[in-house]
Amino acid sequence: MDPLTKERVTGKGPISGTWAYITGRPDNKRVTVFDWLVTAFSRTAMFLILLGVGLTFFEVLMRYLVGRPTIWVNEAVLWTGSAIYLFAGAYTMQRRAHIRITAVYDIVSRKTRLVFDYIALFVIVVYAVLMLVGSHDVAWKAFSSWERFGTVFNPPIPATMKPLVLIVTLVVAGLALNNILVDWFGRGKADPNQEDESHPKEAKR
Amino acid sequence: MRTAAFPIAIFALAVLVGLSPSFLFTNFRADLGVGTMSLLLLIGIFALLVAGVPLGFATGFLGAIVIWLNFGERGLGLVMQRVYDLVVTHAIIAVPFFIVMASFLERSGIAKDMYSALNISMGRMRGGVAVVTTVMAVIMAAMSGIIGGEIVLLGLVALPQMLRLGYNKYLAIGTICAGGSLGTMIPPSVVLIIYGLITETSITKLFTASFTPGLMLAGTYIFYIVVRTRLDPSLAPLPSESGLDEDVPETNSRMELLLNLTPFLIGGVAVAVARALGVGGTEQVATFIFSSALVAFLIVAWLQNRDEYPIAKGLLPPIVVVDLVLGSIYGGVTGYAEAAAMGVVATLALIWVRSELNTVMVLEGLEQTFRSVGTIMWVTFGATVLAGAFSLSGGNRFVANAIVGLDVAPIVIILAMLLVFFLLGMFMDWIGIVLLCMPVFIPIVTQLGYDKIWFGILFSVSMQIAFLTPPFGSAAFYLKSVVPPEIDLVTIYRSFGPFIVLQAIILAILVAFPSISLFLVR
Repeated sequence: MDPLTKERVTGKGPISGTWAYITGRPDNKRVTVFDWLVTAFSRTAMFLILLGVGLTFFEVLMRYLVGRPTIWVNEAVLWTGSAIYLFAGAYTMQRRAHIRITAVYDIVSRKTRLVFDYIALFVIVVYAVLMLVGSHDVAWKAFSSWERFGTVFNPPIPATMKPLVLIVTLVVAGLALNNILVDWFGRGKADPNQEDESHPKEAKR
Repeated sequence: MRTAAFPIAIFALAVLVGLSPSFLFTNFRADLGVGTMSLLLLIGIFALLVAGVPLGFATGFLGAIVIWLNFGERGLGLVMQRVYDLVVTHAIIAVPFFIVMASFLERSGIAKDMYSALNISMGRMRGGVAVVTTVMAVIMAAMSGIIGGEIVLLGLVALPQMLRLGYNKYLAIGTICAGGSLGTMIPPSVVLIIYGLITETSITKLFTASFTPGLMLAGTYIFYIVVRTRLDPSLAPLPSESGLDEDVPETNSRMELLLNLTPFLIGGVAVAVARALGVGGTEQVATFIFSSALVAFLIVAWLQNRDEYPIAKGLLPPIVVVDLVLGSIYGGVTGYAEAAAMGVVATLALIWVRSELNTVMVLEGLEQTFRSVGTIMWVTFGATVLAGAFSLSGGNRFVANAIVGLDVAPIVIILAMLLVFFLLGMFMDWIGIVLLCMPVFIPIVTQLGYDKIWFGILFSVSMQIAFLTPPFGSAAFYLKSVVPPEIDLVTIYRSFGPFIVLQAIILAILVAFPSISLFLVR
């Protein structure tokens, strides 16, 4: 957490605590509205992890202390988990923290780096669009017919997750474009490669 | 060139290229042949990775292209289907749980207290602090499943202590990084969870099998430290020699032992009661685990404001977590995802009684988890697309047949695969190696008649080596982020030498005697 946000989170102002964190500025040198939206959304979605933990713990308690296992926790946790994996990917993109090998990237000239970034943008966007081409109808059908999971509890996991996979992947592609525009063409003279979040070391932590 | 129009043009071009199958090449097929395709894929992966394209998208992109070329537009539905199938796999939920547990532990003082406790027990012997560091690494490895946090913690807690006592810095650094890497070897381990998912191997069996090799590695490190410091005492001065004897306080060891054993004694009584009441076998195990963990937790809460029993105070918190997590998994009480959730709850409860729970800590822990999960899962997404595309196009069968058809002994092929792990490990994270290699390697391994569990253990020991090998051994970077600037990367890598040799010896033993890994799961 950057010092400014930390100060607001621990402070006594009208907006403090978790709320200050969620509405806080994304931890980048330059940000766009897109960055703000993704960051605020991700900082909210992080609590899904605690929700998943809580639900799973509840199930263990029900099974061993009360002796009445539930039928719904398993699938609720499944849904929570799926949402975590997907949203986390968008957040990781916003933080420029997706795993990549920077051995060569770090030693080439600035111009070549820009070319490499264009290649990455191209790859990500083609991936997202090919996914869209292949499954927009499947995703729409799952959603419009409210396709269910086919178990006793029968939650609408396919109906929500199939479109969500597609939507988040497209958001990630949008972020890829956003990142290049912000890092290389944003106002101010900051060198994008000086920003520590573009470094893969952080990605592994 | 510095105009914002250019990236937008690239974006538009990419969208057009992506959309082209729907209006240009409806019946387009490229008949490349499996061999050419495999070769082009290899070159493509290599080129994209060199250009610094994120691994998950490079593989996903190539997978989508392969499907498009082989099956046309209609096949492209597979891309989303593969990702969807993966996100609704229940087993993966353990990954965020184990990571969030480690992130919270990292931010508490639990590790520091554990270190002091171990130091009191063993700090007075020759090389004791290095041994303590390894033991602590093992306990922490049994609480969490990732590396990084562990090395950082040991670097902050144990390294200054060893340097202050005048320990040889190479020995100290090597111990920390080799020990810290055990997080992915000793169960629970995120590496083994992902390996199990990708190769469709029982994760519980992998956890059971990795137990012995993990302890063998740790035992070898301790043996090495003890022998080496006996041979050359100047490497590890005793506290009395450095004039730092007061560092190791006295304590009432009988009472300490009693406090540490009480939870298990009460757990035993609870089981006896449960048996008398006639409950089933699993419930008896559950009774033991839950009651002992609860009692240990209560003792921790009671000890919080007292200083007279530092050993119990330091060791009981990890006992609570390990008891709950590993006890539930090995006792067959819960699956590992539920065990992980209990571990998270226990960790938060421990941090709460230590009055270390605050908003910033929780938010930072969640943030770190979210980012780690994002990186791990999206690499997995891309790889599952590529693996699906490759095997549907017959690539797996082609490569497997080509390799099995070679006129060499099967063990040579296994050794060649380990060599590939070693080479890739110099440049790539474990997650990339699992996802790129396993879809191709595993069919070969099973065709040759070897056990997937055994191969998983070999893989995870190879990754221990990979964490330490330059130029991109990640352990070095984690440690570098917390050590004083005069310790440079060259020093850190130089410290790894003996430990890499030890790991290689263990790996050789495990290759030669598969039953060491497998006797517990048979």
